[in-house]
Amino acid sequence: MLGESYMRRIGVFVCHCGVNIAQNVDVDALTTYASTLDGVVVAKQYKYMCSDVGATLIKGSIKEHKLDGVVVAACSPRMHEHTFREVVNDGGVNPYQLEIVNIREQCSWIHSDRKKATEKAKFLVRSGVAKAKLLEPLQTSTLKVTPNALVIGGGIAGIQASLDLANDGFKVYLVEREPSIGGRMSQLDKTFPTLDCSSCILTPKMMEVANHQNIELFTYAEVADIEGSIGNYTVKVRKKPRYVDIDKCTGCGDCATACRLKDRIASEFDMGMGKRGAAYMPFPQAVPLKYTIDAEHCLFITRGKCGDKPACREACAQKAIDFDQKEEIVDLKVGAIVVATGYDLLNPESLYEYGYANSPDVITTLELERLISSSGPTKGEILRLSDQQEPKSVTFILCIGSRDETQCTWCCRIGCMSALKHVYLLREKLGDDVEINVCYTDIRSYGKGYEEFYRNVRGLKTNMFRGRPSEVCNMGDHQKIDVFDTTTNKLFEIKTDMVVLVPALVPRADAGDFARLLHLTLSGDGFFLEAHPKLRPMDTFVNGIFIAGCCQGPKDIQDTVSQASGAASRAATILSKEELEIDPLIAVVDEEVCTGCGICVEICPYEARILNEKTKIAEVNDALCTGCGACIAACPSNASIHRNFTKKQLLNMVDDII
Amino acid sequence: MSIVDLTSMGESQAELRKEINDRLSRLQEDVSDYCYQCAKCTSGCEAHKLLELEPHKIVALLKRGLIDEMVNSDIIWTCMSCFKCRERCPQKIAPVEILFALKNMAVASGKQIPGKYSTILQSVLSMGLIQDIQEVTMRDTKTKKRGDLDLPALSKPSDPAKFQAGLMKIAVEKL
Amino acid sequence: MKRKFALYPGCIMSTEQYAYEISIRETLPLLDIELVDIDGFSCCGEPLKSVNQLMMLYLSARNLALAEKNKLDMFAPCAICHLALSECRYVLGSNPEMKGRINGMLAAEDLTYNGTGEIVHTVDLLHDRIGIEEIAKHVKKPLKDIKLATHYGCHAIRPKEIGRPVDSEHPMKMEAILSALGAETAEYPEKLDCCGGLLQINLDESALAKAGQKLKAVHEHGFDGLVDVCPWCHKMFDARQTKAGETVAAKLDLPVFYLTQLLGLAFGVKKEKLGLEFNLSPVDKIQIG
Repeated sequence: MLGESYMRRIGVFVCHCGVNIAQNVDVDALTTYASTLDGVVVAKQYKYMCSDVGATLIKGSIKEHKLDGVVVAACSPRMHEHTFREVVNDGGVNPYQLEIVNIREQCSWIHSDRKKATEKAKFLVRSGVAKAKLLEPLQTSTLKVTPNALVIGGGIAGIQASLDLANDGFKVYLVEREPSIGGRMSQLDKTFPTLDCSSCILTPKMMEVANHQNIELFTYAEVADIEGSIGNYTVKVRKKPRYVDIDKCTGCGDCATACRLKDRIASEFDMGMGKRGAAYMPFPQAVPLKYTIDAEHCLFITRGKCGDKPACREACAQKAIDFDQKEEIVDLKVGAIVVATGYDLLNPESLYEYGYANSPDVITTLELERLISSSGPTKGEILRLSDQQEPKSVTFILCIGSRDETQCTWCCRIGCMSALKHVYLLREKLGDDVEINVCYTDIRSYGKGYEEFYRNVRGLKTNMFRGRPSEVCNMGDHQKIDVFDTTTNKLFEIKTDMVVLVPALVPRADAGDFARLLHLTLSGDGFFLEAHPKLRPMDTFVNGIFIAGCCQGPKDIQDTVSQASGAASRAATILSKEELEIDPLIAVVDEEVCTGCGICVEICPYEARILNEKTKIAEVNDALCTGCGACIAACPSNASIHRNFTKKQLLNMVDDII
Repeated sequence: MSIVDLTSMGESQAELRKEINDRLSRLQEDVSDYCYQCAKCTSGCEAHKLLELEPHKIVALLKRGLIDEMVNSDIIWTCMSCFKCRERCPQKIAPVEILFALKNMAVASGKQIPGKYSTILQSVLSMGLIQDIQEVTMRDTKTKKRGDLDLPALSKPSDPAKFQAGLMKIAVEKL
Repeated sequence: MKRKFALYPGCIMSTEQYAYEISIRETLPLLDIELVDIDGFSCCGEPLKSVNQLMMLYLSARNLALAEKNKLDMFAPCAICHLALSECRYVLGSNPEMKGRINGMLAAEDLTYNGTGEIVHTVDLLHDRIGIEEIAKHVKKPLKDIKLATHYGCHAIRPKEIGRPVDSEHPMKMEAILSALGAETAEYPEKLDCCGGLLQINLDESALAKAGQKLKAVHEHGFDGLVDVCPWCHKMFDARQTKAGETVAAKLDLPVFYLTQLLGLAFGVKKEKLGLEFNLSPVDKIQIG
């Protein structure tokens, strides 16, 4: 086997990468050295090997020197391995008989001594040639694509992605864990900078989702498990029992009116300020327009008794209430997944000094949204929670926990604009006489129309204090804030009726668990990590899974919708193909050596390994294997082999340089 | 090239600035460079309302390297060491520790030490404590001192000469 | 189970604030705490941090080394001392070079600092080590019908980074202890404000003003008394109360206690044994027992 694939006609191509490589590595010397190596028949150099000219150079050399293997000494394979594979393939050499030697990231960029760096580059190239001589030609295989998409999360990002994919003609399963889709945007009153009514622009989209023939909606449901890989995922969705038959429920609300716990449970949608019953609909525009019975509180479910008979069941003329409903698991087959699970607000209790835990009159922006909303707990009246009086003075404090090394290091990106929007709305609702103060660190009004909006708000008799208060003191009937204003160099004491904190945006509390379930990576801040911050912002490191909206990082609605459409388009790229190529650089099992111990099955993070019950030999599911190498390291009998990373090939690389 | 403060003709003192930052980095993780002047420290400063201390300005002056201006000013001696600025800084900067460093510099440069600091220093050097046993007045106006009470003898360095020798060594060392 | 600690008295408590020491020595043994006196302690160095930080580290390391030599954990009832000792441990723990230098100097007195001993303060000793339940068991004469304000002292609560005996923004351990003693407590906006104590060294008027402002606020909130756990703070609020009041144009008569004095009263210890005659504030206003 070795003899057959033993290649002797290798070409080495050294890239200057402009000056990136050339300034720290003597490329002339390196090329000359490469040409002397055993098996090398030609060595050439060029300024940009990844350019058209470079490609022509490689292809021409392959033909001229009848090459059967190619070594490119350039940047990281993560950057251009794909490019050079195509070039080599076009030239007539099997694309897997290409070896990339990284002399940029691993040499020129990290060393300053040119002489030593050149010596190191020589070792690297020599070792690359040693491997290239043993590289095997490999063929890609294909698999069929399931042309359905799964969208996780029914906020504006998930809604947009679902609609885009559905309009492209793909079947979309949209899974939302709350009883209704709509997400954070449905809680907002108006949106900046245009002051569009949030519900007015969101509700039509929610309705479109509900009525779209290509969208199947799973609300009050969660993703429980996921198997498979790009093109063919099997997803288990756990449908929580809502104890209401949604086919029968007309959304009339008789159950909620009858519920013995009516107006006794804090409403999540109203940030705990409004009340609901155990039979409830989170908000009037909910989609689906169906009621849900909250099992955590329902008397009949928790205590087995609700008066003589459950009041909701008695009240429902449609006989839609069904206490026998059980949790249900549904299997979905999809080819691509868009994750749009959104964000949480930082609980300001972690910055105790700002008094959120001390007074009902210190609230967050999201709570103010519900107070301003005409469908909110006060029907749109701005009232202090302590005494139900209209405030004569409202003070905003920005950057609560944002840009903070002890809390969230990042900027929340929406805090400034959302506070300015509230200033505008409060001025509109409470009139000219109310005092409005804003304590800010820097106003970041970077979006289209944002700076103009900021200018408008400055003109609305807004007291802008450029400084961060150290604490909010609860004085009983008012709150006291000392703030040093760096624009006047003075310390001001603000006595105010109501304080609105603008907290940081944080990842969902269960983002870590969810990432493990989907094998996604988290960035340092705890949000889902994109495959590349600039060039692959919607991709993840798991092929076929894309991210959109605030689950990737804080952003406003504009950016969220753009990213959602982008993610949908990325998913469509996969779904629109009938077949996908599978990279052959994955694990294989040497059947003669495998003892069937099963360690590889346990260790494989992608569930790509199975133990054949009959033959007692481990097998690899090519579609699932990512070539991570975990099974290779774990196999006690060396039966697990990584194609073109065989022990023989690797040892030859080492042997040749020591 | 240079940058000059035209109100005081002060120039950036890079060396002194480095000295302070080195000193701080031994006491805590981060140095003042990260400050973005939110002034949360000054908003909550216990000494600001009474004595006009502006911790955020101290950090800004340090970043500019205008060290002499601070070392020669009485303002650095107004800090009450309440540590609120260090506790609440969103960038983990500790103006209070910068002030300690500046005060140490003022002392080391031979400036007169304000208030009773010299008395305290002398007392610690000679007997190990900031003061000797005091006769105190009680609510009924009678006076008593430690010896009149059922308390053990005062704990203090048993060999004052040895103790003093150790301390004197430090007085000339730098942090 | 008897627990042993080296009592580190610090300068102010042992030379002036006798009431704290008397009440500590009277009450803690009732809770099975054995206090060991060690000769040779010096100032913790905190008041000299402004003059020379290295001196502070050296002095604290020296005191900790003395306790280590006696194989004892350290009980520092003064918040200022407790911070100096804790900071010393924090800095030397993360800076082996500095630790080496300090130890080189300590060798002259035949001492070595290893950083093996614990450092406790009155509040965490009572709340965490002894526990509320145990304290409640000893209460014989509950403090009835009094509403007390607490003052922890800046050095006891900050900086959190160094590790303090109580929470830096929402300290509640004294409240829990006082409630076990039968007293009522309440939150007030100025609770975390400074007493001004250290400023006595060079800006005495301002120090008094600081104390005066806080005392006035506590009085206006309708508290019957103030409780503290640091001899510097107590000196400001109790011994210097009248003068502090003058700076804010107020005639103050607010009873100020050490926590350990109230502990003793609730345990049924006689007033005379708790050093109450040393409190210059009108503690007689409150009838206990």
